[in-house]
Amino acid sequence: MGSNSVREPSYITAAGTEEAPPSLITTRNSVSSGPQKQKGKRRLLKWFNPGVILPLLAGVLFLLLWEYQVFHKLFDLKKYQLPLPSAIWEAMRENYSLLLSYTGYTLTEAVVGMLIGSACGFLIALAATAWPRWGGGSLTLVAALNAVPIVALAPIMNLWFGDGIGSRAAIVTATTMAAMAINAYKGMAAVDPLALDLMHSYAAGKPAVFRYLRIQNSLPYVFTALKINATASMIGAIVGEFFFSSRGLGYLLSNSIKVAKMPLGWSCIVLAAIAGVLFYLMVERLEKVFIKWHSSQRS
Amino acid sequence: MKGNSPIMRSRVLPLLVWIFGLLVVWEAVSWMLLHVAKTPLAQSKLPYVHEVATTLWKYSGTLLREGGATFGNAGIGFLIGAAAGVLLAVLMSLSRTIEQLAFPYAVASQMIPILGLAPIIYGIVRDEQVSRIIISGYITFFPVALNMLRGLRSVDLSAVELMHSYAAKPWAVYWKLRFPAALPGLFSGLKIAAPLAVTGAILVELMGAQHGIGVIMLRNLYYGPSHTYMFWSTVLVGALLGIASYWLMTLIERLVAPWQPEFRPKGGDR
Repeated sequence: MGSNSVREPSYITAAGTEEAPPSLITTRNSVSSGPQKQKGKRRLLKWFNPGVILPLLAGVLFLLLWEYQVFHKLFDLKKYQLPLPSAIWEAMRENYSLLLSYTGYTLTEAVVGMLIGSACGFLIALAATAWPRWGGGSLTLVAALNAVPIVALAPIMNLWFGDGIGSRAAIVTATTMAAMAINAYKGMAAVDPLALDLMHSYAAGKPAVFRYLRIQNSLPYVFTALKINATASMIGAIVGEFFFSSRGLGYLLSNSIKVAKMPLGWSCIVLAAIAGVLFYLMVERLEKVFIKWHSSQRS
Repeated sequence: MKGNSPIMRSRVLPLLVWIFGLLVVWEAVSWMLLHVAKTPLAQSKLPYVHEVATTLWKYSGTLLREGGATFGNAGIGFLIGAAAGVLLAVLMSLSRTIEQLAFPYAVASQMIPILGLAPIIYGIVRDEQVSRIIISGYITFFPVALNMLRGLRSVDLSAVELMHSYAAKPWAVYWKLRFPAALPGLFSGLKIAAPLAVTGAILVELMGAQHGIGVIMLRNLYYGPSHTYMFWSTVLVGALLGIASYWLMTLIERLVAPWQPEFRPKGGDR
């Protein structure tokens, strides 16, 4: 978090947005002119940059206020309702092996589901681009599926796929499909008309246009979708576990709320957040590798 | 292929065929599961469409009331969250300090499974009404703020300079230039947040509330096979609420910001 504090999340280009990733880059630059200028030369000074130090201070202050029960007095809360950070830390240390295995379980569900869902979404986008008239209908259906609350999907998937890892993977698949389909479609449809004309003038067939033009063009959009899905898939897996499950962070979370073990519940949230961030960073790393390859191909 | 009527030309016909085909396949698979494959709990897994429709009609009063409760609470939270998000976006666009303070946390909050917080918040407040509103508001808040901020910042620089050269007051710059420019961003944030707000409201209900569509959903799920059709009806209502919220946002966007390329019949990149 510290090195590049001001970053535009790709989450906001989810379904229904008409912004393209290139504009994302430009806004990022305009939003954060500070940290990037000083990068490279004065690395030590970077840490005293207001863009880093201010949020860091605010975070520490927030935690301190929480720890010394200012919020509790302000909102009239009891300690069993909102546990202190130290209590959460204690709960995490006591149950760390259980929490670790559950985090791994939930993360596996999320990753498996996201891979399947993104692949399906990409195929749908391919079909929608290849046959716009009839494939477009499927795109609309997928967009409608996107608006369906996860809580409505989750019990059905549980009925279909049972108690195992499969049902949560299916939930995540369903929730991640739409973002990928819509984004990839946007990338494949928004090709440069001149390039398309050139392909036509070379008498390139549909497969060749896809192979050399559309898929290349969709790559940045695909990675945007993957980044959206990295966060969404964690949510899908956790919410899926709320229903019936015998393992996982979501199961532990809803269970510890029911028996009023709030510190344990909070440590689930903290771990889920950390796992989500790691997952996101992994996808971002991959994006850097792939986009680099992409631009080097073109230049 | 070359139909001249509006229905043939537009994409309505393929979509209708898709939906109809899906329903037919559903009905057929349901029949197969029940009579051919003899799957255990066949009707729970994929019930007959017509039975679900009948139940939906029969209990429409209850479903409408509970669905309305969910939708209303999600809506209140959504409005509060959206207002707060817009306010924060304006503040961030006005002051760099506020932006530097708030922006990293806005980004970090996207990483936290927000919906995972729903039971926690219910655990804190122990009041279904309030916690539903809080969750819906919280979910709405950040997508709206971030998208709005991007919209506020994405105005044409020469337009800003023109405004300055006319000695326009800051509020005039905001009112006449930045807000209209931010509308598409605002609406894309709202469109992301609206179905999520409904999801959040239902999630809170699952944790042990008294009213709302999620309560009936969970109850019928636990009653088992005899309540299959009712359960599927509640799922359908939940789905419709999510879709309706999305459509509502699209409709409002069309009315408020009709100049966007996607609303044009022709042109642009197509």
